[in-house]
Amino acid sequence: MPYHEFECSKCIPERKKHAVVKGPGEDLTHALPLGYLNTIPGSISERGCAYCGAKHVIGTPMKDVIHLSHGPVGCTYDTWQTKRYTSDNDNFQLKYTFASDVKEKHIVFGAEKVLKQNIIEAFKAFPEIKRMTIYQTCATALIGDDVDAIADEVMEEMPDVDIFVCNSPGFAGPSQSGGHHKINIAWIKKKVGTVEPKITGDYVINYVGEYNIQGDQEVMIDYFNRMGVQVLSTFTGNGSYDDLRAMHGAHLNVLECARSAEYICNELKVKYGIPRLDIEGFGFEPLSASLRKIGLFFGIEDRAQTIIDEETARWKPELDWYKERLKGKKVCLWPGGSKLWHWANVLHEEMGVDIVSVYTKFGHQGDMEKGIARCEVGALAFDDPNELEGLEAMMTLKPDIIFTGKRPGEVAKKIRVPYLNAHAYHNGPYKGYEGWVRFARDIYNAIYSPIHQLSNLDISNDEISIGTGFQTAKMLSDVNLSDEVVSSATLRQYTGKYDSVSDLRKKTYPEFKK
Amino acid sequence: MSCEIKQKERVGTINPIFTCQPAGAQYVSIGVKDCIGIVHGGQGCVMFVRLLISQHLKESFEIASSSLHEDGAVFGALNRVEEAVDVLLMRYPDVKVIPIITTCSTEVIGDDVDGVVIKLNEGLLKEKYAGREVHLIPIHTPSFVGSMVSGYDVAVRDFVRYFAKKDKTSEKINLITGWVNPGDVTALKHLLSEMQIEANVLFEIESFDSPLMPDGNSVSYGNTTIDDLIQTGNALGTIALHKYEGGKAAAFLEKEFDIPAIIGPSPIGIRNTDTFLQNLKKMTGKPIPQSLVRERGIAIDALTDLTHMFFADKKVAIYGNPDLVIGLAEFCLDLEMKPVLLLLGDDNLSYPNDPRILALKEKVDYEMEIITNADFWELENRIKNEGLELDLILGHSKGRFIAIDYDIPMVRVGFPTYDRAGLYRHPIVGYAGAIWLTEQMANTLFTDMEHKHNKEWILNVW
Repeated sequence: MPYHEFECSKCIPERKKHAVVKGPGEDLTHALPLGYLNTIPGSISERGCAYCGAKHVIGTPMKDVIHLSHGPVGCTYDTWQTKRYTSDNDNFQLKYTFASDVKEKHIVFGAEKVLKQNIIEAFKAFPEIKRMTIYQTCATALIGDDVDAIADEVMEEMPDVDIFVCNSPGFAGPSQSGGHHKINIAWIKKKVGTVEPKITGDYVINYVGEYNIQGDQEVMIDYFNRMGVQVLSTFTGNGSYDDLRAMHGAHLNVLECARSAEYICNELKVKYGIPRLDIEGFGFEPLSASLRKIGLFFGIEDRAQTIIDEETARWKPELDWYKERLKGKKVCLWPGGSKLWHWANVLHEEMGVDIVSVYTKFGHQGDMEKGIARCEVGALAFDDPNELEGLEAMMTLKPDIIFTGKRPGEVAKKIRVPYLNAHAYHNGPYKGYEGWVRFARDIYNAIYSPIHQLSNLDISNDEISIGTGFQTAKMLSDVNLSDEVVSSATLRQYTGKYDSVSDLRKKTYPEFKK
Repeated sequence: MSCEIKQKERVGTINPIFTCQPAGAQYVSIGVKDCIGIVHGGQGCVMFVRLLISQHLKESFEIASSSLHEDGAVFGALNRVEEAVDVLLMRYPDVKVIPIITTCSTEVIGDDVDGVVIKLNEGLLKEKYAGREVHLIPIHTPSFVGSMVSGYDVAVRDFVRYFAKKDKTSEKINLITGWVNPGDVTALKHLLSEMQIEANVLFEIESFDSPLMPDGNSVSYGNTTIDDLIQTGNALGTIALHKYEGGKAAAFLEKEFDIPAIIGPSPIGIRNTDTFLQNLKKMTGKPIPQSLVRERGIAIDALTDLTHMFFADKKVAIYGNPDLVIGLAEFCLDLEMKPVLLLLGDDNLSYPNDPRILALKEKVDYEMEIITNADFWELENRIKNEGLELDLILGHSKGRFIAIDYDIPMVRVGFPTYDRAGLYRHPIVGYAGAIWLTEQMANTLFTDMEHKHNKEWILNVW
């Protein structure tokens, strides 16, 4: 597994150890890219900061909370309305964001007084919300405001409110990952154990590292409810502040995103002896195995199996319709942290695509290790991607599609590579059985869009077929398929609704006897 | 019955209308050719601003970060700037202009960016990049001062101040557009071309409405060149369309090189476009051609179809960049509408003395409020708790949930407008802009009438 040297990065030799190509018969002992090191200034890295890792990724999906950033307005404004973490309380956390609006005079004379006024004003504006998280930013960390002291003061004066303080300024670490760690540790230290858990079921879990992107959490909660498993809290998507203060009451921590939230699971184990079970909500097999593992832990495998059978029967024929048409398509799997390994193998197994490259913006070596182990031979794996390297990789690998963020997606667009949003999804949710079909559907729609055929044509040079009024995705995808596949009576395209989540909120669940 | 100007009473911000200064400087930087800015601060200050601008323009472009980490915050991070300049120059051989844009963190720790530029000019650039044209321009945009609007203003001035030279006379004028869209630049260039006026358009972002070409062209970039910037010092005159987004540069050129400056108005609506053309005529001596008389006539014709029938007495709230908000309010008044609430998202102390605001204060004959240092809560709270009734909201996408939750029709205008397709392509300035805006407002009201079954049958015979 030799290190890969990008042409564009030859002049910054330290980059060489951040990229490898997975050779035939090689394993990770041959080489592993470096990860989670300081960013090279001026490299036009795609990384964010530790503030956004704490506030934007983990803190804000908590739904019944005033999220107040202590600093100038920019940090708040810039991270507001750029994600798709929804909630079942009318998206309070998406709609409202709060900044203490620190100005020059506060930098000079301190901003603690203005912070206190802010807190009081915010609670007054939203009298039904009694919980708040305050995020430190670069400016207020540097002037040394004691945010915790102010929060304590307010809590003393307003006994019905509770405030959580997260000290994770933007510069605290090489990337957003530093912020994930800081907010995990702060939450367990300051808040877990301060509310008595309301145990209503026999089997009680915390669902951890799940951010309810486009409703992922609600899809998974549906399965847990159908198994008779009580979800005491979700950290943090669609999660409730007070539920999360009672995390210590669970029997099991079910962990989804190990990159951003393993810290709190590990602490819960040390402090309260709650075991950690890593699961995957993406893909039929990994999800089925995950539900079985939870079933096995509680001795309710049969309940898990019922769901697996029902869901597989309902959705597998639709997944396979897409698999037949996605086989061999080349994918650059370029997410933020951990989706490279959540998705790498299962995309290949269940949708037939080949992963030709993985990268991680803020993952650590462990994420790379798992990602490389799960992607195809020949794949290019690199850490802390930058603009030119991404472009060079796309030019040489010529992928059929890339999964990445919105702005890098615009770079791909210009070189005529279709893109899907790996962070916020196109038309998710992507978790759950139906969700996985939705993902396959989105990939299919992207790759076989007739627009790509048009964008590759140079009307001044190329031969243009005249008299063709239109093409459909199916005309393009089915051209080389066998009759058996094309006219299959079992396979079918996605049949779900545009909004697959809202109906879940109206569902009722059977009570299980012990 | 009068117009009241006041500052928001709360100290905090619930849903900000503006972001901070470095974002404005970054927006300016992408308008310059062969330029990649380095933002000296945490990585989020770049990553999210690039995301924001790319959401708006549906394009990508390059801005670098010095990637301030913990050690830099403690011990100073000028070494990160030095490294960033070197890495950028090595990997981007076409780059000639590098603005170094400061942020709150690096201003608080007191990094001497001006000093490091001198050091780099004497050292790295002489030693490693001898013979290569490189311009390092420090731009101070601490986030705790002003807003993205003043950041834009400061950056335009700093680019101009750095490059402008007077060595000959020129017939060209400087046209500083302010924070506009590619579609606005196209419309402005069209007006100039009809008047046969040669102008240095700063900043030339028309190309951000860029094509998807069969040979693949990966990055959009601005087209204002180093020479354009140098020539600003030789211009016949400067017109800065937006007082708060380019006014400083116009004033600088006037003071430094005696180049006459006309500041404002934003040519939004018929009247302000008329003024703009008069200003062009005054500055260049060129007549206003029949073609523009006709173009104006088409606009007036379109407006006449709509104004008293549909717009009269409609109550409007407007928020966003100050020159935009004022321009829109003036245009709404001409259309017989009633702008009842104007929200300006920063605490610029000169707003209350702006002649356009003073004119509103003097002449508006119904209750109008102008709030400075405003946030979105100033709007939402009035609707939710104080009985404000509105027929229309004009503003950018960050306010979308107010329109959605209170079911008020809204026309997206300003920056950013990521929740509607292609708005960056359409002008709001000039006669073409007047038509586009008017018809957008009308069609939005029509859709709302249908959606609410509110006399929707009126449109049967219109």
